[in-house]
Amino acid sequence: MTTRTLRAIAAVSALVVLMAAPSFAHHSFATEFDGSKCRDFTGTLTKIEWANPHGFFYMDIKDPDGKVNNWSFQTYALITLRRAGTSRELFLDNIGKEVWVRGCIARNGREHYAAAGSLKFASDGILRQMGQLQD
Amino acid sequence: MKLHIPSFVILTLVSLLSLSAAAQQDGPPYTVKPLPPGGPAPRLANGKPDFSGHWLPNGAGQGVSGRFGVDPAARGTFDPKVTPELPPAFLPGAAAKIKSMTEVERELARSSVNCMPRGLPAIWLQNPYSTVIVHTPLMMAQLFEVLNNWRLIHLDGRPVPKNPEPWFHGTSNPRWDGDTLVVESFGFDERTYVSANGWFHSEDLKVTERYSRPSMNYLIVEITVDDPKVLERPWKSAPRRWTLGNGEVYEFYCTNNKEVEELEKLKDQEAGK
Repeated sequence: MTTRTLRAIAAVSALVVLMAAPSFAHHSFATEFDGSKCRDFTGTLTKIEWANPHGFFYMDIKDPDGKVNNWSFQTYALITLRRAGTSRELFLDNIGKEVWVRGCIARNGREHYAAAGSLKFASDGILRQMGQLQD
Repeated sequence: MKLHIPSFVILTLVSLLSLSAAAQQDGPPYTVKPLPPGGPAPRLANGKPDFSGHWLPNGAGQGVSGRFGVDPAARGTFDPKVTPELPPAFLPGAAAKIKSMTEVERELARSSVNCMPRGLPAIWLQNPYSTVIVHTPLMMAQLFEVLNNWRLIHLDGRPVPKNPEPWFHGTSNPRWDGDTLVVESFGFDERTYVSANGWFHSEDLKVTERYSRPSMNYLIVEITVDDPKVLERPWKSAPRRWTLGNGEVYEFYCTNNKEVEELEKLKDQEAGK
């Protein structure tokens, strides 16, 4: 190996030694959602609203008193989900099925609305990232 | 023959290996890793480097947001520990103006919130989505996924107007410096921000981009921002990397943004309206 080749390797290696950068969301997460109020939700996927730039999915979730509420969850931009392998089709295939979500609730007091962080469909058990992970 | 390996090569390789080993101790092996350099950069018919490709703003050549198992070394366009970027040196008046912005005003200044075009240079500095470049000896077309923006940089030596219309991407004046394409742009719409922290610009903004392709899989973009009404001296970015992908390019529009309505209400409340 020549010195020149080694220098080239070093230069490229230096470029690839990069540390984590903050992940991007379409909005400022902190403005809309409370990162200190995140919790687990388990329920049934009822419908999805996939539109540029964000996706929303809805779940029937039983509260501690046994009352069922329909919650909506905001996701990353659709192109981010799709590029990461999480497609609209995957959600459609899971409508009516059980889903686990870790999400953070809205700051403005809007009821039954949260940002999705991570998610698992009971059908495959794969942990998927749906938005910024706050905890 | 004795092989002399420069110490910086050893240091770089050791740091690469130790970082990778340390990062992997706690979890499963990464499934998304830095892309190797690839072979030599392709060339145009005129012998200059060909920057064509589907470029992702990270080191992986694929999406890294929204995924688990991503090697930290594959994230981002630069590592501030390796190639730090100095903060912009604002003139006192500009610094005071930025400081006086409320949190709500700062949020509303973000392109991702107000849905305005990012404009140059933010379209390179603040853009998490991919960019397709189609490059010929006479033109470089940049097709940005974000807001479906596009930009043509003419390389045919056509004259550049002295007083151009105020475009979000400015008016570009390119030249080759060896294998680096240097693009100087001026004549900008004043409504954009250079970065999300309130860094505004004046009509005298001048942006210089330096494009190079050290190998097949890596595009390097370095940006210099010169704005004598806002900055004490020009600000220079790190050499930021994009990597070659072969995945699909998607559409991205800013449409169902309800947050901006909420923020406008808050702004009115602040103003006592």
